[in-house]
Amino acid sequence: MALVSLKNVIKTYTRGRQRVEVLHSLNLEVEQGEFLALMGPSGSGKTTLLNLIGGLDRPDEGEVAVAGERLDRLNGAQMARWRARHVGFVFQFYNLLPVLTAERNVEVPLLLTRLSRTQRRSNVRAALELVGLADRATHKPTELSGGQQQRVAIARALIADPTLLVCDEPTGDLDRDSAEEILGLLQTLSRSQGKTIIMVTHDPRAASYASRRLHMDKGSLAKEEAGALAGSVT
Amino acid sequence: MKYLPLVWAALRRRPVRTLLTMFSIVTAFFLFGALQGINVGINQATELTSQSHLVVMSRVQMQAPMPLAHLARIRAIKGVTDASPVNFMIGTWRDPKHPVVVVGADLKELFRISSDLKVDPKQVEAATRTRTGVIVGETYLKQMGWKVGDRIPVHALNMVKTDGSSDWVFDIVGSYTLVQPEWATRVFANFDYLNEGRAQGKDQSIEFYVGIDDPKRSAAISQAIDDSFANSPDQTQTANEKDFLESTLRQIGDINFLVNGIVGAVIFTLMFLTANTMSQSVRERIPELAVLKTLGFTDGAVQWLVLAEALALSLVSAFLGVGLAALILPRITSSPALAASGIGSMHVPHVVFAAAIGVAVLLALVSGIPPATRARRLNIITALSGR
Repeated sequence: MALVSLKNVIKTYTRGRQRVEVLHSLNLEVEQGEFLALMGPSGSGKTTLLNLIGGLDRPDEGEVAVAGERLDRLNGAQMARWRARHVGFVFQFYNLLPVLTAERNVEVPLLLTRLSRTQRRSNVRAALELVGLADRATHKPTELSGGQQQRVAIARALIADPTLLVCDEPTGDLDRDSAEEILGLLQTLSRSQGKTIIMVTHDPRAASYASRRLHMDKGSLAKEEAGALAGSVT
Repeated sequence: MKYLPLVWAALRRRPVRTLLTMFSIVTAFFLFGALQGINVGINQATELTSQSHLVVMSRVQMQAPMPLAHLARIRAIKGVTDASPVNFMIGTWRDPKHPVVVVGADLKELFRISSDLKVDPKQVEAATRTRTGVIVGETYLKQMGWKVGDRIPVHALNMVKTDGSSDWVFDIVGSYTLVQPEWATRVFANFDYLNEGRAQGKDQSIEFYVGIDDPKRSAAISQAIDDSFANSPDQTQTANEKDFLESTLRQIGDINFLVNGIVGAVIFTLMFLTANTMSQSVRERIPELAVLKTLGFTDGAVQWLVLAEALALSLVSAFLGVGLAALILPRITSSPALAASGIGSMHVPHVVFAAAIGVAVLLALVSGIPPATRARRLNIITALSGR
């Protein structure tokens, strides 16, 4: 059974007096452990699809199921709790809390768990070590480079051991070297830890790190490619 | 408690703005604490005073002396049981930092009239036998480091002796206590000792304390006393002690009413100031609050985080403000003038702390609910897209 399953999903937005259908009867399945890249031009519906899968938004019609949970049937509070347990988010502009240090930023999702302070600190240390930033734990986001901030964001996304990692243009604000570091890290997480990752990107080079690539156009899935074209095999 | 770092981080986001807002709230609550402390003190003072004894003063001017001959006429009025002349000597002990108020009175009569002053009758007896004897308030005795048997020199500021000096000597023969212990601050001496020793103002009295047989008739007896001096050049104004103290404090009371109004207005304005600060803070952090929701914080949790910020800001500032008032008020109200009226230094009672917490919570709710509601209603998609 697929980890992520979307059936006949329709999503519309109202802009002024106009109703715009962003996703048209979309069907999609993502298997456990897959690293999926969603590509396509601006306005094609990639981020809308990602928001539905990440439980940030609801479809107007159709079914969205992740790990057997029908997200379209959850209310706001249930959806929030579901996100806390099952999804890690990585954004284009990192979205770290500027007044908190790296370790405090990473700890935020754990505040919603029943872990003790000691356990939280220990998990934070492990997550920062995983992304290679243990020595920057006490630095604030403004004291870190873009690539380092994105690695902190990835540590935050991983800290609660989510079922799914959703990344919206994670390398869109990074230089080429930093982007490759981040993509390599995501690929490693997918391959060695079996994390299911869904990444939205404009960049074909970034998409080449994924195990599957889907192209979207005007709210529908256009074509599909399989197999990673870039990155080191671990 | 685990969310405290988030609350603290939000407050530290704009430290100058937070400090300035805190400073405003601290100032308002300092005024609130100090004035409420004074109000409570005045209320306690008037409640402690008795309706069963009267104070006779000059109608011409509050502190104008009256002839001692009034005493016999007062004693002769029906319903009067006791009467004592009263003079006040303001002086210092050792140095100007130790002001002393000595009340000269007929001690036997005075302690019979003022039944709220608890004293051993043997000590009163001893004081009347000792010309220089004084009965001192228990609290004042401890405060000055004196004990019964001590001889204390007082340098008078308003009473020169017949030999031209202003240095008087008193022997402590006893002490009295009060229900309000911190107000036991007066020194009671023999009227005759002061009267005979002074160079000017002999056989005159600033006030007369009068004991009566029926407190319900205090108004009628007061009127009878004033009527008996109606055609005298030294007309009197008599009231029971409670009314007298209330009229003495009315001026302060009026000022309090005015300042209380100002404090009320300040706190009302503060609500808008704090609400504006909170709203501004939330407006600036919309993407951050959206991130918290994305990470799994429910709408309610985000709302509570914003309210907790308002509560922390308001409660900490209120506690600092009232705490400051509690430290300063006893120092600024420790004056010889108040001590002469039988009122010691004033304190901020626990009830004012409790009231301040209530007002601070109200302030936090009024200023915090609008931005907290906005944070709760925040749509993640809209907020993250910067729309």
